[in-house]
Amino acid sequence: MLSATVLLISGCSSEPKTSMSQPTAVDPSTLPAVTLPDLSQMDRAVQQQIGDQYRALQSLIENRAAAPELARAYGNVGNLLMAANDLEAAEPYYLRAQALEPGEMRWPYYLGHVYMNRAELTKSIASFEHALRLRPDDVATLVWMGNVYLDQGEPELAEAQFTRALTAQPRVVAALFGRGRAALAKRDYSRAVDYFEQVLSSDPRASIAHYPLALAYRGLGDTARAEAHLRQQGMVEIGPPDPLMVELRGMLEGAVAEESRGVRALDGGDFKTAAEHFRKGVELAPDNPALRHKLATALSLLGDTQGALEQFQETVRRSPGFAQSYYSLGVLLATNGRQQDAIERFATAVKYEPNYVGARLRLAELLRQTGRPDAALTQYEQVMTIDPRAAEAQFGYAMALVQLKKYDEARRRLSEGMASYPERREFAEALARLGR
Amino acid sequence: MRARLALPAASLLLLGGWGCDRSAPAASVRPVTEVASDWFMDRAETSGLTFTHINGMEGKFYYAEIIAPGTAMLDYDNDGDLDIYLTQGARFSETAAGTRDSLGADLSAVARSAKAEAPRAKAAGSEVLRSGGRLFRNDLRVNGDGTRTLQFVDVTDASRLVSRGYGMGVTAGDFNNDGCVDVYLTNLGPNQLFRNNCNGTFMDVSRQSRADDPSWSVSAAFFDYDRDGWLDLFVGNYLSWRVESNTPCFAPSGRPDYCSPDVYQPQPSRLLHNNRDGTFTDVTAASGIAREFGPALGVSTADFNGDGWIDFYVANDGQPNLLWINQRDGTFKNTGLLSGTALSSHGRAKAGMGVDAGDFDNDGDEDIFVTNLTGEGNDLYVNDGAGLFEERSARSGLGAASRGYTGFGTAWLDFDNDGWLDTLTVNGAVQTIEALRRENDPFPLHQRKLLFRNPGRDQSGTARFEDATARGGAAFELSEVGRGAAFGDIDNDGDVDVLVANNNGKPRLLINELGSRNHWIGFRLVGSQAPRDMLAARVGVVRDDGSTLWRRARSDGSYASANDPRVLVGLGQSTSASRIRVVWPNGRTEEWTTVPIDRYTTLKEGDAK
Repeated sequence: MLSATVLLISGCSSEPKTSMSQPTAVDPSTLPAVTLPDLSQMDRAVQQQIGDQYRALQSLIENRAAAPELARAYGNVGNLLMAANDLEAAEPYYLRAQALEPGEMRWPYYLGHVYMNRAELTKSIASFEHALRLRPDDVATLVWMGNVYLDQGEPELAEAQFTRALTAQPRVVAALFGRGRAALAKRDYSRAVDYFEQVLSSDPRASIAHYPLALAYRGLGDTARAEAHLRQQGMVEIGPPDPLMVELRGMLEGAVAEESRGVRALDGGDFKTAAEHFRKGVELAPDNPALRHKLATALSLLGDTQGALEQFQETVRRSPGFAQSYYSLGVLLATNGRQQDAIERFATAVKYEPNYVGARLRLAELLRQTGRPDAALTQYEQVMTIDPRAAEAQFGYAMALVQLKKYDEARRRLSEGMASYPERREFAEALARLGR
Repeated sequence: MRARLALPAASLLLLGGWGCDRSAPAASVRPVTEVASDWFMDRAETSGLTFTHINGMEGKFYYAEIIAPGTAMLDYDNDGDLDIYLTQGARFSETAAGTRDSLGADLSAVARSAKAEAPRAKAAGSEVLRSGGRLFRNDLRVNGDGTRTLQFVDVTDASRLVSRGYGMGVTAGDFNNDGCVDVYLTNLGPNQLFRNNCNGTFMDVSRQSRADDPSWSVSAAFFDYDRDGWLDLFVGNYLSWRVESNTPCFAPSGRPDYCSPDVYQPQPSRLLHNNRDGTFTDVTAASGIAREFGPALGVSTADFNGDGWIDFYVANDGQPNLLWINQRDGTFKNTGLLSGTALSSHGRAKAGMGVDAGDFDNDGDEDIFVTNLTGEGNDLYVNDGAGLFEERSARSGLGAASRGYTGFGTAWLDFDNDGWLDTLTVNGAVQTIEALRRENDPFPLHQRKLLFRNPGRDQSGTARFEDATARGGAAFELSEVGRGAAFGDIDNDGDVDVLVANNNGKPRLLINELGSRNHWIGFRLVGSQAPRDMLAARVGVVRDDGSTLWRRARSDGSYASANDPRVLVGLGQSTSASRIRVVWPNGRTEEWTTVPIDRYTTLKEGDAK
């Protein structure tokens, strides 16, 4: 039923053919009805929010509201559905909004995102082009359209969009990055290097650019520079300044939306805002252990140890199998000198999650520090089996042997550690202290 | 193992023991001359491949439910045709009453569910669900008119290939060099190694061989990395997950859904060195591969840098992929980043699932194809011959066309035998597809398969693949939760067929109706010391026009699955192959000059005249 409706609306709105002449709004009475998708499994807050917007829309339809007002009501429902990641459901609302308010750029812009995320790249480009006809210098639209052209294997067309974006707003990092990608796709390595270097000088945090820059240097035969940039490679993304998408992401209520906002704040180092979002989320979904764990973490980072402890304890009370909270509790307790309590929490964490390397390693270390080297050895051994990279376990094992006065074996372990982890100086230093 | 030289495919088939149980209806495969409108036809049901995978889902969105199953094509009875193994899941029970493996899967539940299901299924005249993975013997028959009759018989119990736990994947290789292919099962819990007794039965040697890795493993690969003539084993491990520690996850709307892999800790993969005495030694740390790992889902072994030593590529789920280059001294170095195969050219780690290596552009080196998550698109990494790659996902058309799909099993296969390797991917989402959920679909993850034809290089040297899915046939219109896929010539008619393992569903056996219209040449490559399939041996087929097609014997690649170890090369309209060059895994090269086409020939190391 939806797809039939979509076709009808596409026809009504003459999308994407409206462009050349001055578009005119359709008569609202000619628009077929669009139903609301089943919301029953969504967060109550989200259900309420979307339901409210839908009822507002219905009321406007019944009262024969003017087209622009109706368009915004359709668009609001579309926005909420898109924020809830229900792209198929969002599409007909945006199409109606676009048909009713053909001079508004937001609707084809959001449709461009809907199609891009649904992997309908040709339709996405058509919608972005439509948006650009209404706002020719919109940098976000130009960058997104360039990205879609890159995904389609059309670097020349992509580059043209990025260039337009830079003309409209010089030094937009996302457009520079796009130009670099286009040059890389065309094997124009010199230009790619120039653009990616500009990206990193404009925004040194944009660590994702180190990888394509390294590939560009590799293409030029400069392996040393390539490897230097690979070592700095990270995952911090580069996006265009995009007020419309920021607005959309901020619309949705509900626990998951609050969690997402909290994570973004946490990543940005704003622990207070993060804690606020997580707390709102916990109020909406009190039994979500991962969310409550994040609240506790944010509180801990804010220095509110007591608040963090309470939240970690509440997490394990509600979700006894949630190993991360036992681990975090253990860390907090150990930091506050309650080593025995911490040992118990780490032991519980590995009971529920036997391959939990961090918890097992902490358990081993605390056992060793509290005079139980025999028990520590077992835990270190387990860590080394689970994660052969764990140099700390190898070192801790040797130190536990020292405590047990098994010096020869400790020396052997330290020597092995030196060979396996030449970059770790603690093995050599401990060996020196032990004497060869 | 019987070494066979220059036997036509038909005579190989006659060696099979097809006089057994024929209770299942038989499927006749069309003769070569008949023109079929569909390029592939699903023959699973009609050939007796009665099996339904159960993932154990109970509405709790347990992460492990959506990862399996894999499948294998292997000739376990050495009768010249490929048999089939399908892995099976189990139910996860919240009660602690059942026997649990180290990861918390209820091992007795599958037996209980099968028992409960049996009377109902029997009454309905339908398939009786059986616990554990199943081994099906291929009783292929070549009829007088050249058509083939495929018939599979479930021989699991008689073969004693009895899996335990929650099955994930399977790989096949003759680890003890006795000429009979052995089977390694990856599980959610301890893996199992079954030694082939060369009499139609297997022995579980998991513990004594020390190959019973207890982690959650998905894909594995047998390969002889140290060139000592014995197959070693790479075991790709995924995440640390247990029923008890399953974390609830939610879609942006707050609706419960499956988690993404970053919720759980990745587990290190393992490299096991073959001790030549039926046991393995864990050389994960000593080989250097412990230094970097991610949640491994796919693995493909090949000589990526052309130095004659076998390397391997690991597709990680949401973390950089790894390209382990053999240092020829028992150690490996990860060159994923510098080689350009770790990330997309954008710099982003994708959710790598299936993978295969093959020479799609016929320039003599191994290129990599990786399947990814919906929204990401699959990746094509083109080799420069020295192990440095260029990502050409967009330019080839393979990236954009796959963005709407979550790909799993895949292979380079020349399905039309025109001499250019094409690709096929089986797909299925890992998080709820809203449009399907709205229709009250009980398992809203299903997607269609994709088939892409390689038309060859254009003037710029780039291949732009054509979406041939619509020509694939009715089986390509089915929307299913595809996971594993095994590729091989199941009916021995000279083209590549495909066995698709669906999550919570029936397998599909896609019989190729197209390839045998072109000429082809097929090989089984066996060793001189060990009469086994020489995995990683490379075959160069010199065609009429002097050009050479390079292909590789392999059973790995794809996703959690094992492929036909024979090499099948499409010749297009060429009516001969002037020379056949074989580069054996030990580096030795041999050349044959009189190998007939349109049939399989066994080439034995050291036998070239």
